Amino acid sequence: MEIIIGVADMKVSNDSEAVLITYSLGSCIGLGIYDSIEKVGGLLHYMLPESSLDTVKAKNNPCMFADTGIPLLFKEAYKLGAKKHSIKTIVVGGSQILDQKGFFNIGERNFTALRKMFWRNNMMISYQHVGGNVNRTIKLEIKSGQAWLKISGSGYQRI
Amino acid sequence: MKSVEKIINDIEALRPIPYTYHKIIEMTKNPDSSINELVDIITYDQGATANILRACNSSYFGLSRKITSIKHAIAYMGLDRLVNLIIVDSAASNFRRGQEGYDLTEGELWRYSVFSALIAQSLAEKNQQKNIPFIFTSALLKDIGKVILHTYVNDSFNEITFMVKEKGLAFIEAEKEVIGIDHAELGAKVAAKWNFSPNMVNIIKNHHFPELAPPDDLSIPIVYLADSICMMMGIGVGSDGLAYRYHQEVMDKLHFSNIDVQKTIADSLEKLKDVETLVNSTGGN
Repeated sequence: MEIIIGVADMKVSNDSEAVLITYSLGSCIGLGIYDSIEKVGGLLHYMLPESSLDTVKAKNNPCMFADTGIPLLFKEAYKLGAKKHSIKTIVVGGSQILDQKGFFNIGERNFTALRKMFWRNNMMISYQHVGGNVNRTIKLEIKSGQAWLKISGSGYQRI
Repeated sequence: MKSVEKIINDIEALRPIPYTYHKIIEMTKNPDSSINELVDIITYDQGATANILRACNSSYFGLSRKITSIKHAIAYMGLDRLVNLIIVDSAASNFRRGQEGYDLTEGELWRYSVFSALIAQSLAEKNQQKNIPFIFTSALLKDIGKVILHTYVNDSFNEITFMVKEKGLAFIEAEKEVIGIDHAELGAKVAAKWNFSPNMVNIIKNHHFPELAPPDDLSIPIVYLADSICMMMGIGVGSDGLAYRYHQEVMDKLHFSNIDVQKTIADSLEKLKDVETLVNSTGGN
């Protein structure tokens, strides 16, 4: 059963039939987490780095921003039994327009926001495919923790 | 290199925007046109009237009363919303199919186009532009060239992506280099063939080259910026990804800061619902 995660959205699951998928990450980031012991996984698709940009929007939809979406993803996974020390993380997305001279660097800022939060919380990135100017899709199977990455223009590859 | 003439001949396979719709689009540019004139033009064309009323009465608009005339439609929906609906309805059939060469499945380019038109509209409003439906239409149609070019992109995909990855070309530059024509240039030829104004032809041709806009023109920068924001959002983005060039002069011209970019991205999320409304309630067959 495929569960689609839209833009500024997240899902966690311990259903062995579930496959979480988020399409079309441009400068947005897709963060997948998975606890292979508890077989709990989650996927977040956030758009922007910091909730201070619009606190009302952040309150209504925490998944829009890295600093509100990422903690929520982990909290929801913990509720299903996931443990911090056994969680593996996958980070994809964060693309940018060519020669954007720091102006359209939302992709880079999105990734920096994540790295800062991970560093503060002693969390490692297990796999990353970030930056460049491609469009990405990520899929995570709950029963196995197997993930697939698709870059537009080519097929799914196992990661 | 493929014969460019052969590619241009493929324009014939598209379904041109019907005359009535075309006239409405051109009329909305003219501030002196009255609502009555608009109503007269639409009602004169029974097919267009039926299509528009069908779209207005689709469940997506959730109107409590059945709309039975174009006048009612304007009263209930407002002129701007109705004009958007009319324009989207007129162009839908050409965009709905997938474009394999850009790795876009059915409906993806169409969603991208509608999304980018809605963002262009709100940027045009912020910049107090007078010709908003015109900018909306230009943004909506700007990628019509992809509908034709995708088969040629597909044939030369490896060569094009090599140019992008290894030689640092923007995707559109690689299209031109490998195929002999790019999707913007081809789109401009479509618009010209369909008798759109030279202004709109120019916007479509230069939507990736805003530096070529006349100094007092904001429509090309607005369509360019809306396109860039859609790319970043990733909605309906294909194998060309974000491999297009950045133009600082657009930001200067529109007085747009990095924070403005982020705010527009945050605001655009709500527009995704409008995209679904417009896509699902308009024609395409």
